[in-house]
Order: sequence, then structure tokens, then C-alpha cells
Amino acid sequence: MAEVWNGPLRKLDDWRWIIPREYKKGMLVEGIIYASERMIQAIRKDQAPEQVANVACLPGIVGRSMAMPDIHWGYGFPIGGVAGTDVEEGGVISPGGVGFDINCGVRLLKTQLTEDDVKPYLEKLVTVLFRNIPSGVGSEGKISFSLQDLKKAMVEGAQFVIKKGFGFPHDGEYIEERGALRGADPEMVSAKAMERGKDQVGTLGSGNHFLEIEVVERVFRPDIAAVFGLFSRQVLIMIHTGSRGFGHQICTDYLEKMQSAMGRYGIKVPDRQLSCASFDSPEGQAYFAAMACAANFAWANRQLITHWVRESFEEVFGRSAHHLGIEVLYDVAHNIAKIEEHVVEGKKRKLCVHRKGATRAFGAGEEGVPEVYRQVGQPVLIPGDMGTGSYILVGTELAMQETFGSTCHGAGRMMSRSEADRVSRGRDIPSELLRKGILVIAESKATLREEIPEAYKDVGEVVKVVEEAGISKRVIYARPIAVIKG
Amino acid sequence: MAWGKTLAKLFANAALGMFSLIGELDRVENRFTTQVAVDGNDYEDLLVTWLNELLYLFEAEGVLLKEFTIQDLGQYYLKGIVSGEPIDVAKHTIHRVVKACTYYEVKVEKIRPQLWRAQVYFDI
Repeated sequence: MAEVWNGPLRKLDDWRWIIPREYKKGMLVEGIIYASERMIQAIRKDQAPEQVANVACLPGIVGRSMAMPDIHWGYGFPIGGVAGTDVEEGGVISPGGVGFDINCGVRLLKTQLTEDDVKPYLEKLVTVLFRNIPSGVGSEGKISFSLQDLKKAMVEGAQFVIKKGFGFPHDGEYIEERGALRGADPEMVSAKAMERGKDQVGTLGSGNHFLEIEVVERVFRPDIAAVFGLFSRQVLIMIHTGSRGFGHQICTDYLEKMQSAMGRYGIKVPDRQLSCASFDSPEGQAYFAAMACAANFAWANRQLITHWVRESFEEVFGRSAHHLGIEVLYDVAHNIAKIEEHVVEGKKRKLCVHRKGATRAFGAGEEGVPEVYRQVGQPVLIPGDMGTGSYILVGTELAMQETFGSTCHGAGRMMSRSEADRVSRGRDIPSELLRKGILVIAESKATLREEIPEAYKDVGEVVKVVEEAGISKRVIYARPIAVIKG
Repeated sequence: MAWGKTLAKLFANAALGMFSLIGELDRVENRFTTQVAVDGNDYEDLLVTWLNELLYLFEAEGVLLKEFTIQDLGQYYLKGIVSGEPIDVAKHTIHRVVKACTYYEVKVEKIRPQLWRAQVYFDI
């Protein structure tokens, strides 16, 4: 797994590297990696580029098999991978192209508070947030859904929990797909997934998931920042979590089903973890319907956490969330497959776009972008690793033409969890971060060590590449002041 | 990587290995027992399905498992009894969540008489 990859990479320009079709038998399109020359050396250190070539072999793939600069090795697809298949020409859908944590994603809340307003209450705020938001391994939610409610959440996503009173009525406007991906069918979800999911809704989870309080430190594009309602020194809250055990089980169930289906349909792929079926087949349709349920579960999850963030701020500041201006800026998925229309070789086509560790980044004028942002493009939320802060980008026209409106999703791992654990043994990570001005509270010390900053690529360099390549533009950078980890 | 003198031992050892990744098993007592039955397309598929079934039990029932007795193993099905203890955070140390057992480079092979070897990768 950790072998160096020595395959061919043809430099197209300073930010684009092509894996030619001739590299591997079965590649239907070429591969492309967005990266700087310096990053390419690191990217070659594992077999992630081979996975880009493998994805290029998926039946029905069009355009290119793409990888964003935060590319690293994943199961089947690389993390940072984007691929579109033409569903009207037998294009496939692959659970490995979404991953186990379906609709792992990021939601950003803005406030009308500045750093000076929050600093004196920070410790109290973090304690209250930690108490109000369940996190950690095996954590159970504060609410347990009945089976009937769980099924509603699978179809209506964030909209369902908003209706139940967990959120402002307009929150849904500021979520990708309005927090409810169409095509979800609970009948396609196993009883096992529901059993795993019912107590986990409204939980942060563990691993790389977190809740972070940040302060806007740099404004790159004041005009766009103004449209997004962002200003210098403003306090933001970032929520990073997904569909938890519910999504893991759906992915597990369908990888198994796809294994058997591939034999029946005579589909051959270079890696078993890339198992797939044509989107139109019963298995493809069933997976999409179940995956949509998990995507909606995740949006419901982030909505519930939003509600408890608001309650926590209300408790600490003694003012209503409305008064504090705690509003959803946006909510993006970074592990998902969606049906979208894109122009390929001059022709509009209906594609199944897989984004695995990649974010939708629609440009100005696109219908999928909330009306208030439509003149500038979609906000793209890019969390860094613990302690380095986050970027908010905006989607571009070029992304629409070149990457099916997609961009990077974060820093991207550079060290495996076990390697990070080894190099950080004996270190006091909370004290190290506190010296940098970041208050950390975590359920597990082991998680903190696995998530040390040096385990990740520099998120600044990742966003620089996507900006230079023209597939998104930086709007602001926010520095963390507090982190809550599972 | 897991080894076993027989195919049945191999499947039991792979499960034990997976649960040692999840948590500290020394203090896990025998207070929960259940029967597990799975099938697959080949031994590799069977192994992945078996381990994922146990992961499901871990999350849905909230149990740490440490004993795995394979009662029946054929082409390609498996029946066994597994036991362990409901998780008690005051008593048990949990290391990490294993999201799933993957199909990536999964292998089940007989490397010589009376020695089987399996390889699996977990998504953590």
C-alpha cells in the first residue's frame, strides 16, 4: 500500500498532471491530478494515482477521472476523487466512489459576534457545547428516533428535523440540495442500518469529526464575503460530521450486493473495492436510493447539532440565537454521488457524479446555488486539520466546464493514523494547541494524537492549487480558537 | 493479517484481531452470547461479510466480543457462536471505531498443510 507510484504523469501546466489512457489497459478516459510540482512528490508516495487510473476504467465514465490536490489513498476511489458516468449510456454507480461515511460534510454557522465578544466566555462556551453535543466512540444521541421518524428523516433530511422544531424555518435554504436529496427510499435500507442509525442521529462521532469555533482572519475577496455575510473578526462555527454507523452499514450492505451483481452483469474492474452496477440496474437504483437516505440522515444530523449549538450560545450569552445572528452560511457534502447535468464534449449529459473527499463548487448563475449567493457562486467550505483553520471558497465557471463543478475538500492526510499515533506518543497535544491559542476539548486522547496537525497536508497549499487552477477562488480564511473532538 | 491451523480457526482469529483493534479485551467477560450465520460468494467474501456482521453487533448491540466458536463452515457459509460483554465505559477501554471491513486486497489462502492465512484491510 505504501509503495511509491512510478507511473507516467504528463505535466499539462503548473497545476494539472495527466495520467494518459495508454498507461493501463481498460482506461476509458485519461486521469488528471490537480497539484503543484512539490505536492506531486508526496502524492507519488502511495498508490493513490493508481486508483485514479483504476477509476478511469469504470463503465460509462466521461470527461476525466479526476483527483483534487488533497488526494490520498482510499478504498477503491482515492480520497479527493471525482468521476462522472453517463447514466443514459450505461454509466455505473459505485459505493466505493462515495465511501463508508456517506455525506460526511461540513456546515458553517455565522454569528454577529466578534472575537472580542466571545473570548471572555470561551471556556464556558466550550464546556457547554461539549455537554450539549454528544461525541466520541459509541456516543448516543440526546434524542432517539422512532422507526417512523427515522424513515421520515431518511426522505426529508434536514427539512424533517426543522419541522420538528430543531432549527429556523429558513435554514434549509442554505443546505446543498436543501438538506433533502431526492430519490431516497427507506425500503432500500436494511434493518441493520436502521438499528445502527436510530441512536446515532444528533451525534458528532469520533475520528476526524469535530466542531470548531473560528474567527475570520483574512478576507481575500471583500465583495463576495459581503454577499456571504462575512466580515473580519467575525466568529464562525464549523460542524464536521456525517451519517455515522447508518452510512457505514449502507455502504457495507451494498458493496456486498454489488460484488454479486458484477458477476451477473459481466462487469470487470481492476479493484474489488470498486464494485459497481449500472445506474439503471435494480442494484444501482437500490444503492442510490439507500445512499440518498444516508445523505439525508447526515443533513438531519448536522441540523440537530446546529440547534444545540444555538442553544449553547443562548445559555452562555443569555440572548436568543436570532439576536446573536447564528445563521447557517452553507452546508456541503463531501462524500456523495448525485445526478447532475453537465456539458461533456459540447453536449449536455445526465451524469452520476461521484465526489469522494471532494466538494461541489458550482459557479455563479447555477440553479443549485441558493438565490442570495447565485450572482457570485456557491460557498465552498474547506476545513483544515485541527489547529490550522479553514477556508471558504467560491465556485467558478471553469469548475463547471472542467470538474463537473467540483473542488477539494480539506487538507488531506499525509500520515496514516498509526504513524501519527507513533510520532505523537508522550506529547500533550491540548497544551501544544493551547500555546497556539486554541482551546481543545476531546472525548479521547488517542483521537487527538491521530489528528495532530503534521499528519495532514497544508490546507493553504491545497486551496492555492485549486485557486491557481481556476476551479475555485478564496473568499476568507478563518483561524480556530476552540475545537471539540469526538 | 490473521493465521489459523484450520479455516475455522482462521475466521475466529481474524475476528479476535479485529476486536483487539477496537478495544482492550482483557477485562471483557462472558455475559453476552449470540449465534451468527453468514454466507458469501467465495471465502474472501465470506470473511468480509463475517467481520462486518460482527461490527454490526458491536454497534447495534453495543457489545465487545472476544470469543468466537465456528460451528459449521462450508462453501460458502459459516455458522458460529460469539460471546463477550455489553460495553461499560467505566470498565472497558475503547480504542477506535472500525467503520467497516473492506474488500481491498482481501485474501484467504492455505499456505501449507495446517496453516491458513488471511489478509483484510479495515476502514477506520
